Amino acid sequence: MTDLVRMERISKFYGRVQALEDVSFSVRQSEIVGLLGDNGAGKSTLIKVLSGAVPTTSGDIFIRGKKVDIRSTTDAIANGIETIYQDSALVTQLSIARNLFLGREPLIGPKVFNRMDHATMNKVASDLLRRVGITKNIPPTTPIAALSGGERQAVAIARAMHFDSDLIILDEPTNNLGVAETRGVLNFVRGARDSGHSCIFIAHNIHHVFQVVDRIVVLRRGKVVADDIDPKKSSIDEVELIITGMTDEELAGAPVH
Amino acid sequence: MAIANQTESRSQSVAADQRPLIRRLIAKPEFGPFVLLVIELAVFTAINPDFLSPLNISNTLVFTVELGLIALAMTLLMTAGEFDLSVGAVFGFSPIVMWTLFNQGVVSLPVGFVIAIVIAALIGMVNGLFVTRLKIPSFLVTLGMLLVVRGTALFVTDGFPQRTWNAGEQWIANVLVGDFYVGPFRIYMSLFWFIAAALIFWYILNQTKFGNWIQASGGNPNAARARGVNVNATKLALFMLCSSMAALAGIISSIRTSAANPNSGTGYELEVIAMVVIGGTALMGGRGTIVGTVLGVFILRVMRNGIVMIGVPGLAYNIFIGAIILGMMALHYGLERRHQSGT
Repeated sequence: MTDLVRMERISKFYGRVQALEDVSFSVRQSEIVGLLGDNGAGKSTLIKVLSGAVPTTSGDIFIRGKKVDIRSTTDAIANGIETIYQDSALVTQLSIARNLFLGREPLIGPKVFNRMDHATMNKVASDLLRRVGITKNIPPTTPIAALSGGERQAVAIARAMHFDSDLIILDEPTNNLGVAETRGVLNFVRGARDSGHSCIFIAHNIHHVFQVVDRIVVLRRGKVVADDIDPKKSSIDEVELIITGMTDEELAGAPVH
Repeated sequence: MAIANQTESRSQSVAADQRPLIRRLIAKPEFGPFVLLVIELAVFTAINPDFLSPLNISNTLVFTVELGLIALAMTLLMTAGEFDLSVGAVFGFSPIVMWTLFNQGVVSLPVGFVIAIVIAALIGMVNGLFVTRLKIPSFLVTLGMLLVVRGTALFVTDGFPQRTWNAGEQWIANVLVGDFYVGPFRIYMSLFWFIAAALIFWYILNQTKFGNWIQASGGNPNAARARGVNVNATKLALFMLCSSMAALAGIISSIRTSAANPNSGTGYELEVIAMVVIGGTALMGGRGTIVGTVLGVFILRVMRNGIVMIGVPGLAYNIFIGAIILGMMALHYGLERRHQSGT
C-alpha cells in the first residue's frame, strides 16, 4: 500500500517545552491507524499539526507524495483531511442537513440571492443517514441537540465521507458513549475504511482501538516508540507496556490514581 | 448496523413529536410571545375599547417600527453570538451628522443621509474589529463605543437639538417617513421599511448560506471555523448592519419628530435587546427568530401604550417589562431544554 499521508521529522515547541521531537508518521490508503500514548505523549499535538490547528516548528507533510503546506483547518480540509472531535465538530442548534453542508452549502437560483438548496440538502442528508445506519425516521431537519452522542459521531463521519475526505481523524470518538453506541461508531469507522477512506483513531480505551484498527503507532514523550504494531499479532498488555515504557512488574506495581 | 437499534427508540420519539400539530406549534420559540401578545391585546381592549381605535393603532405603529428596525438587525447579530450596546447612541448621533451637514450647507440632505449611514457602518466596523481581532467581549467594546458616540453627539451640538423643520421639502423625507391614510388609519412609510426589513432578514437567516453561517458562528464558532466559515467576517458584517439600521431608525425618527436631539435613543439598546430575547432569540447565540422579534417588538410597544391607555402610571412601565422579560426567559429556558432533549 502507498502512503496517503506522510509526516517527516515533525517537531513542535510550545515555548521551551518540546511536545514533538522528530516524529515521522504515515497513514496508508484505506488503512485505520490507531494512535496511542499516555497523557502528554504528543498525540493531540501531532493531530493538531495534521489538522492545521497549530503550525509545526519544523518538519514536512506529504500527501500522496506531494509536499503540502497546512496552516489552517481550511487548508487541511482542502487537502482532504477531516478531523472529528468528540464535542466540537457540530453546531448543536443547527439541523443535521445544515451541519452536513456547513461551509459548502449548495445554492439554488441566481447567485445573488445566496439561497440554499434545502431540497437537495435534506435528500442527501437522509441518504447519508441511511448509509451510516441511522434509518429510523430521524428527519434531516432535526437539530443536532436532539441526537445522542453516537448519532452525532455518525453525522460527523457521514459528512467526512460525503465530501470525500481522504483521511478522517477521529479524536476520542468513543468517549462518554454507551456500549451499543460505541459499537455503532466502530462500525462507522470500518465502513469508512471499506469505502476507501483512511482513518486515524485516537482513544484512551485500548480495547476500542484493538477492535477496529489495522496498525498501531505509539507515542511516548513526544517521540514515536513503535509504529507498526499489528493488533492481530499483539496483545493489549504488550501495547500497554510500550505506551508506559514500564516493565511488567513496574506496571503491576504502579499506583492507582 | 448496531447504531440503528439504539437510535430506534429516540427516532420514534422524534417522529412521535412531529405528529400533533399543536405540540409542534407549542415547541416553537415564537409560540409564547404570540400568546402573550394576544393576551395583551385582549386585556387592554377589554379594559379600554379605545385601545384598538385607528388613531391609537396608527400612533403605536409609528414608533414601534422605528425601534423594530434596530431589533431586526440586532436579532441577526445576537444569533451570531454578539450584541451591540451602542445602537441607542448611533440612533441619536446619525441624525445629528445628517442635519449638521445639511444645515451648514455642506451637502444636500440625500448625500448627508448616505454619509450618516456610512459613518454608522464604520462605527459598526470598529466595534466588529475590536470584537473579532482583539477578542474583547462585545459588551465591553460596544459599551465604550456607546460613550464615544453619545459624547461626540453632545460635544458637536453643545447638547442642543439640530434644526430639522425643513425636512418636509425634501423627497428623501417623504420616502422615509411620508404618511398617507388608508381609511381611518394614518400609515407612515417607515412601516413599509420595517416590513421590507423583516422579510429580507427572515430570508437571510432562514434561507441563505449567510444565514447558516450566522447561526453557526453563534452556536459553535470553532466548529464553524473548522468547516471554513469566516466567522470574523460574518460578525463584522453584522455589526456594520446593526449600526446602519440604528442610523436609519434614528434618521427616520428625527424627520418624523422634527428634532435631531443628541440625547435621543438613550436606553434604546436595552429595550431592543429585550425585544429580541422576548421573541425567542437565544441570548448566547446560535438560534434566532425574526418572527419572534417582530412579536417581541409589538409586545413591548403594546405594553408601553396599553398601560397608559388603561390608566396605569407610565413610571410603572419598567415593572411590567421586567416581569415580561423574566417570564419569557423562564418559558424559553424550558423550551430550550425540551428542544435539546429532542422531546
